[in-house]
Amino acid sequence: MLLHGQTRTVLDRFQAETSINLSSQLSLIKEQYTWNHLVSTGYGRQLAQKVLGGDVITEIKAYTTAAHHFHPAIDTVIDLGGQDTKALSINRTSGQLHKFEMNDKCSAGTGKFFEMMASSLGLSLDELVTEALRGSRSVEINSTCTVFAESEVITLLTSGVALADIARAIHEALLTKLVSLLSKVMRSDTAQILFVGGGAKNRAMVQLLTEALNRQVIVPEHPDFYGAYGAAIHAIQSTR
Amino acid sequence: MTPLFNDDFQELPLKRALAQVMAKREAGAKVVGAYCSYAPVEVVWAMGGVPAVLCAFSNAPIAKAEETLPVNLCPLIKSSFGFIELKTCPFFELTDAVVGETTCDGKKKMFELIQEHRPLYVMDLPQCPTNEGAVAYWRHSVNGFKKFLEGTFATTISDAALEESIRECNRKNRLVEQIFAFGACAPAVITWQELYAVATYAMSAHGPEAIAQLEEIIATLTARREQKLYTSPEGTKRVLITGCPVGGDVLKVLKLVDEEGAAIVGLDSCTGLKPYANVTEEGTGDPLLAIAKRYLQIPCACMTPNTGRFDVLKQQVESLKPDLVIDLVLQSCHTYNVEAVKVESYVREDLGTNYLKVVTDFSQQDLGQLKTRIAAALEMS
Ligand code: SF4
Ligand code: SF4
Repeated sequence: MLLHGQTRTVLDRFQAETSINLSSQLSLIKEQYTWNHLVSTGYGRQLAQKVLGGDVITEIKAYTTAAHHFHPAIDTVIDLGGQDTKALSINRTSGQLHKFEMNDKCSAGTGKFFEMMASSLGLSLDELVTEALRGSRSVEINSTCTVFAESEVITLLTSGVALADIARAIHEALLTKLVSLLSKVMRSDTAQILFVGGGAKNRAMVQLLTEALNRQVIVPEHPDFYGAYGAAIHAIQSTR
Repeated sequence: MTPLFNDDFQELPLKRALAQVMAKREAGAKVVGAYCSYAPVEVVWAMGGVPAVLCAFSNAPIAKAEETLPVNLCPLIKSSFGFIELKTCPFFELTDAVVGETTCDGKKKMFELIQEHRPLYVMDLPQCPTNEGAVAYWRHSVNGFKKFLEGTFATTISDAALEESIRECNRKNRLVEQIFAFGACAPAVITWQELYAVATYAMSAHGPEAIAQLEEIIATLTARREQKLYTSPEGTKRVLITGCPVGGDVLKVLKLVDEEGAAIVGLDSCTGLKPYANVTEEGTGDPLLAIAKRYLQIPCACMTPNTGRFDVLKQQVESLKPDLVIDLVLQSCHTYNVEAVKVESYVREDLGTNYLKVVTDFSQQDLGQLKTRIAAALEMS
């Protein structure tokens, strides 16, 4: 993400699948772009710093920074990423992070879960979401561990449950995880939740989360770039 | 910088402990393996024996343990058991007898599975330490342990020997406390690796030799402080580690704190200061009762209520002035995991210090996530 220092408008945005050779991917960025200040975030932040220089912040700090900048009225953020799920509580006045929660190692329940479940149903991710939106709440899947969930899904399929209902149940299983993480950081007067990370592009998930929390769920324009926005804003703020 | 120990075991605290136990064994001492800070080591020393810590922190034997034990059990229990099954724990192989306590359910039941390997005594530990009769009951357990040792090794342990052992242990424990108190220096003059090494050393050390070594360490640390030889630069963020015992593969969490450029200034758990805190009253005429009283003050999460934990945290936070308290909970350790709810609110609200709970095991698979968590908690501290 390339942000203009004064106007803070997006100059360029770029996304790539991570490959085994992350270093050479990063080197390409170095050849193609120029910048004054760089901040890296996310799981590859240290490697990015090694290759590209600049500073690093965690994605937790990046989300906090971006959330306070773009949505100052927000005090609660949920991030559904590919690797993990996080819930953040932000002080609305100071913009400081007050508290955060992350999924534990063994309580899987990340964006990867949808990908795995879609493929075990022979669907694309989009198709899974569309099915879920059509489905009703007739069955439950209790596990967010992909191995167990897969066998639950197969049992449901073979017992004749509608595909749409299974797709919905898959979403509900993850929803439970999100709600439990959120309940640890949400305040009683929290009116809006900011939903970011790749998982926020899932329309079914947004709808279910809104219903379950009975609160407004806001999804920013590019939820999967939110960490990069935060890092870029941090880069601008920390040079002033 | 002068190292704290002047020997061949730099950065190998367990090898040092093993050498200590082996030397004492060769000199004729019986080795009594212990799994917990509640094991009254004064009784072992009074017999002329040497205690050896059997708690294991290696991921390697866990697969073996899981052939027998449930997977969702505390890794410390699985690791310790797996080592025994594989016969690869050098400490266990040296033991002549083993003592256990009824602390958590997993450990208590694991003892039943190892009793065929060694003479074993399980001490019944009352879990409501402040209830009426708790101390008297625990005194029975301490006495039972004493009789077990006397019977197993055909010896007698006199009150005079117990008194002498209490005095020696008190002396040693005060020195260990003094060493841990150097954690309060800012900038730091002692690293967590050194704190851990001291705690490990003192477990199997006794008498004039131990006193001399610990006094030498205090002199080294005093010199560091006076000569401004700091182990981390001024302004480094400070961390206190509390929770379950740590060691071996779970030191990954402590190493991540180092990687993020912060300094751990206190280890509050059973592999840190906890076994050395509190004083056993001397010259009471009933050494077993004095021992029982002191051990029941250990603030372990197995106890309810465990108010001592909060007193210790308050005292540690006030003296060490950490920016962050990390509560390290081993997976499936219910007592520490549930107690974390109270610890979090106490540390945040009452002590005004940032807090992070980390639930982990001995594997390396959560390293990336742990790094993010620890870095984020330090960013906000
Ligand atoms: S944490 Fe509790 S059970 Fe574990 S060694 Fe310490 S005192 Fe014993
Ligand atoms: S860490 Fe917890 S579960 Fe494991 S042995 Fe100690 S008290 Fe028991």
